[in-house]
Amino acid sequence: MDSGDVTQLKIGFIGAGNMAFGIAKGILSWKVPAGNLKVSAPSDTNLQRFQEVGVAVTHSNVEAVCGSDVVFVAVKPHLVPVVLSEVFGSVTKDQMIVSVAAGVTLATLEELLPEASVAVRLMPNLPCVVQEGALLFSLGSKAKREHSVLLRSLLQGCGLVEEGPEAWIDVHTGSSGSGVAFVYLFAEALAEGSVKMGMPSALAHSLAAQTVLGAGRLLRDSGKHPAQLRSEVCTPGGTTIYGLHTLERGGVRAATISAVESATDRARELGLKSATAKRN
Amino acid sequence: MSVGFIGAGQLAHALVKGFTAAGVIATHRITASSPDTDLPTVSGLRKMGVNLTTSNKEAVNKSDVLFLAVKPHIIPFVLDEIGPDIEDRHLIVSCAAGVTISSIEKKLLQYRTAPKVMRCMTNTPVVVREGATVYATGTHAEVEDGKLLEQLMASVGYCTEVEEDLIDAVTGLSGSGPAYAFTALDALADGGVKMGLPRRLAVRLGAQALLGAAKMLLDSEQHPGQLKDNVCSPGGATIHALHVMESGGFRSLLINAVEASCIRTRELQSLADQERISPAAIKKTTLDKVLQQPGVTSSDNIYIIPALSQK
Repeated sequence: MDSGDVTQLKIGFIGAGNMAFGIAKGILSWKVPAGNLKVSAPSDTNLQRFQEVGVAVTHSNVEAVCGSDVVFVAVKPHLVPVVLSEVFGSVTKDQMIVSVAAGVTLATLEELLPEASVAVRLMPNLPCVVQEGALLFSLGSKAKREHSVLLRSLLQGCGLVEEGPEAWIDVHTGSSGSGVAFVYLFAEALAEGSVKMGMPSALAHSLAAQTVLGAGRLLRDSGKHPAQLRSEVCTPGGTTIYGLHTLERGGVRAATISAVESATDRARELGLKSATAKRN
Repeated sequence: MSVGFIGAGQLAHALVKGFTAAGVIATHRITASSPDTDLPTVSGLRKMGVNLTTSNKEAVNKSDVLFLAVKPHIIPFVLDEIGPDIEDRHLIVSCAAGVTISSIEKKLLQYRTAPKVMRCMTNTPVVVREGATVYATGTHAEVEDGKLLEQLMASVGYCTEVEEDLIDAVTGLSGSGPAYAFTALDALADGGVKMGLPRRLAVRLGAQALLGAAKMLLDSEQHPGQLKDNVCSPGGATIHALHVMESGGFRSLLINAVEASCIRTRELQSLADQERISPAAIKKTTLDKVLQQPGVTSSDNIYIIPALSQK
């Protein structure tokens, strides 16, 4: 497998849900021919949007695996053991099996796959569907450096892709996975504040969305620390510092830290649960 | 150049200590006046070689730069007393929180056509030459007067000119600031003691930690938020502690404190701006001592309500 050129790769998807579609779109945006992609799902419902962008579809998981260099396992966590046992005989050591199932550990994946298999655990997040995802992956025991380089290259159209030890996956789940919902909560509250102060709801919501988007872009692209950017918005005695003081009084920072903590703890709990369940 | 202080309390003591350590003025050229000679700061000043007197008028006569280092509500009394003795050479620098330049000029205009007045807000760490001082320039003070004051105050720390309407905010931040720091340090030391450190060591380490952090920030281009991040290793001790602090509303507490001090300063200002000042605002014993001074008589209107005296 040549680590550099992803356009030659054959990519298979087991499962055709939102995450699979988001990742597929990201891969396609990076010049990989649609014909190189194949997706399998039990029913036709989710396959249509794949067909519309030129991706090959099938009802056979084995067909999605055979001939693929990289296979994305994008089914619900409880279905992972079922599909992996189904395709067990078709998996080779030259393939990279990438699971996006939350809470399914590398240890579990490696137990469910043939012994020499290259397993990778990937935690994307929802904005993958608009190619602005935050993706963290962790390599299994048989994976090599070139697998990391290849995957990073393949997924760069999906958003920000980083590698880390498996321990960080739960943290990433709690902050970037669930974090998307935290941001939606904040956006909703911003809009409600506007409505309270006299703005019609539809306008309030679209402005709130743009505010979050714009702030996010500025944060990512400026390279500045968020505290620096915050200070730059605060004119002395102005509106922003008054609002910020109210937020501080409300303990928003501490609540956010706690939220990431709760979500991460839960991710860890679920990971342990599924590992235990599998063993029993 | 000679420097005088009306008032020989904490502020005068701190400034003199700083000036002498900086070598910016010789102590025999400094005069400080106070009717009350029992103050511990009075003997401290005397030990430093400052000329002590119980006569405000004497302090005025012996100085070119005159610091008004008394409590805000005393300022009107003092101005009425020394008004007749102010000469053209005098630069009056008021350090009283909340007392406006215009209120001082208004009083002094009864005695001189162009009184040179400046207002400054400093803080106690001038005593170790790490003060934070701002000043505003009055109507008749020249640029050179500002430079002179800045030279004096820069010898004991940071000094810069500001618009007068910012001084109340400065009071809330760096005026009261050392008190916030002392409170924090006391509590930090308690934390250290709770976790097993001997008290003296805990105090020493806490103070050094804050001193070091402040120095790092002043020397750095970076935002304090970035510097904070640099200390917090992932999953480590510091980030756990910071979360606890955030949960306690640490940041908003500090914002509230600065706000409260600033608002109170403004309240004091409106009190001081009143035309009617009750003689009961000053201790009878102190008033008596003032009246015993050479040159001070009851006709100086010290304890007649100033507004009425003009009718």
